[in-house]
Amino acid sequence: MPDVVMNLTDVQAGYGGGLVLQGLSLELEAGTITCIVGPNGAGKSTVLRVISGLLKPASGSVLLNGTELSGRSPAEILGLGIAQVPQSRALFPEMTVHENILMGGYVIRRNRALLHERLEMVQELVPIVKERAGDHAGNLSGGQRRMVEIGRALMLDPSIVLMDEPSLGLDPKSVAKVAEVIRGMAAEGRTVLLVEQNVRLGMNLATHGVVMEGGQVRLTGDAKGIADNPEVASMYLGKVAGS
Amino acid sequence: MQIVQVLAYGILLGGVYALLASGVTLIFGVLDVVNVAQGAFLVFSALFTWQIWDLFGVEPLLLIPVMALLMFGLGWLIYRGMVRRVAPQGPGMTVLLMFGVALTMEGILNLVFGNKFKSVTPPYFTSSFTIGDLVLPMPQLISGVIGMSVLGLMYAYLRLSWAGRALRASAQNPDGAALVGISHVKTSAFAFGIGAATAGVGGVLLAIMYPIYPATQYDWIARLLGVVVLGGFGSIPGAVIGSMILGISEAFANTYLPQWSSLFFYGTILLILLFRPQGIMGTRTREDVA
Repeated sequence: MPDVVMNLTDVQAGYGGGLVLQGLSLELEAGTITCIVGPNGAGKSTVLRVISGLLKPASGSVLLNGTELSGRSPAEILGLGIAQVPQSRALFPEMTVHENILMGGYVIRRNRALLHERLEMVQELVPIVKERAGDHAGNLSGGQRRMVEIGRALMLDPSIVLMDEPSLGLDPKSVAKVAEVIRGMAAEGRTVLLVEQNVRLGMNLATHGVVMEGGQVRLTGDAKGIADNPEVASMYLGKVAGS
Repeated sequence: MQIVQVLAYGILLGGVYALLASGVTLIFGVLDVVNVAQGAFLVFSALFTWQIWDLFGVEPLLLIPVMALLMFGLGWLIYRGMVRRVAPQGPGMTVLLMFGVALTMEGILNLVFGNKFKSVTPPYFTSSFTIGDLVLPMPQLISGVIGMSVLGLMYAYLRLSWAGRALRASAQNPDGAALVGISHVKTSAFAFGIGAATAGVGGVLLAIMYPIYPATQYDWIARLLGVVVLGGFGSIPGAVIGSMILGISEAFANTYLPQWSSLFFYGTILLILLFRPQGIMGTRTREDVA
């Protein structure tokens, strides 16, 4: 029996009256990398926003180890060990890399020893944090910024990391580095939920795959199975079914 | 020697402008709200200072922490009660709201204090500080030094404290700030309070420098907005540089071309903005360009 850490049941959520998620249900197993794929407008990023508390669901439940998350503030959800690395521009451009990383520990700011310990851990996991500590985040390249964003999310030693399009706008070398860090996180026992437009990359990286369409889950399974699914291949990988 | 004298006077004046303008620029930086009521906050604080000094003969400088706290509370309440509700309608609506707040405050001050000049004249009001040939009027010297000191403390607080970092983070990227657990509402209320508190301190300093009456708020908000635009909206270092340029140019204009003083003040702003429309410290990072 897999160890399910997160359970979304019949979630409906949207913006300005329109529902993007229309009864979405999803489970995440501990220590896995789950990748959500789907066409634009399928609601992939909205799933992450609902889990992290940036968007309150209209109905349904979001359970973390049995604890209801919907209705809680982003700060509370962070405190429960869920961190999000958004699609882009999550950093504070006029702050240094060091300050950006420190801000990742905002909710544990009163525990200085813990903050220092986490800072050392992040510096080890994401070397750029130390190498470019004094540079303004706004002056980093896309790949460097993405690494700092991941480092910042790790400051809370989260059990679940939500990542929105981690490969977006990055060159192949940077993508490989980001993928290495993501695999490292899962190897340490963290659960990773990522949204990826690059289906090939996402499914290569993930252990589990989810295909979304129209605000609902259309298909789930192990990542290899999803990648090899002829229907998915024809929809997203440009292959002809059966070829 | 007169040039050094005028320069020193201009720097002191710039120090007071810098404190006052930093409040406007801080609020804009965090909330995207142009607080056109800052002039009214200033005059409110100055007239309140006059009232207490007039009734009890209290040394006005002792009222600085009192006025800072009082105005912090007022700013916090105005944000929580009004600005927060109107902010989602966009910056244009918040300007109208704050203009309404300014007019209301001016009306109340007119009722309470009348439309007459009030002057706070402590014992050092007419004395001066002399170093060699340099003679500095004591009220200007005290105000300039206190203005710069309070601004320096505030700047250090914003750079080094968690609350200050949260303010800066929220100003630079509200969504990113929410992701690390910073509440935009709490941070905004705090920024509005701090911005108003600078007017609280500034009001005491103005009270010992100039005669004040309610309608002087228009003159002050025009100057402060000028300083903030010149320095680059949202930049405290920019506000300081803009204040110094305008304080010094105003001091020289007052001495050598007094009838052209206002023109000199606003002309300087116009001239600099022609060549640097984003303001002196308005910057673009790699991220802005990308």
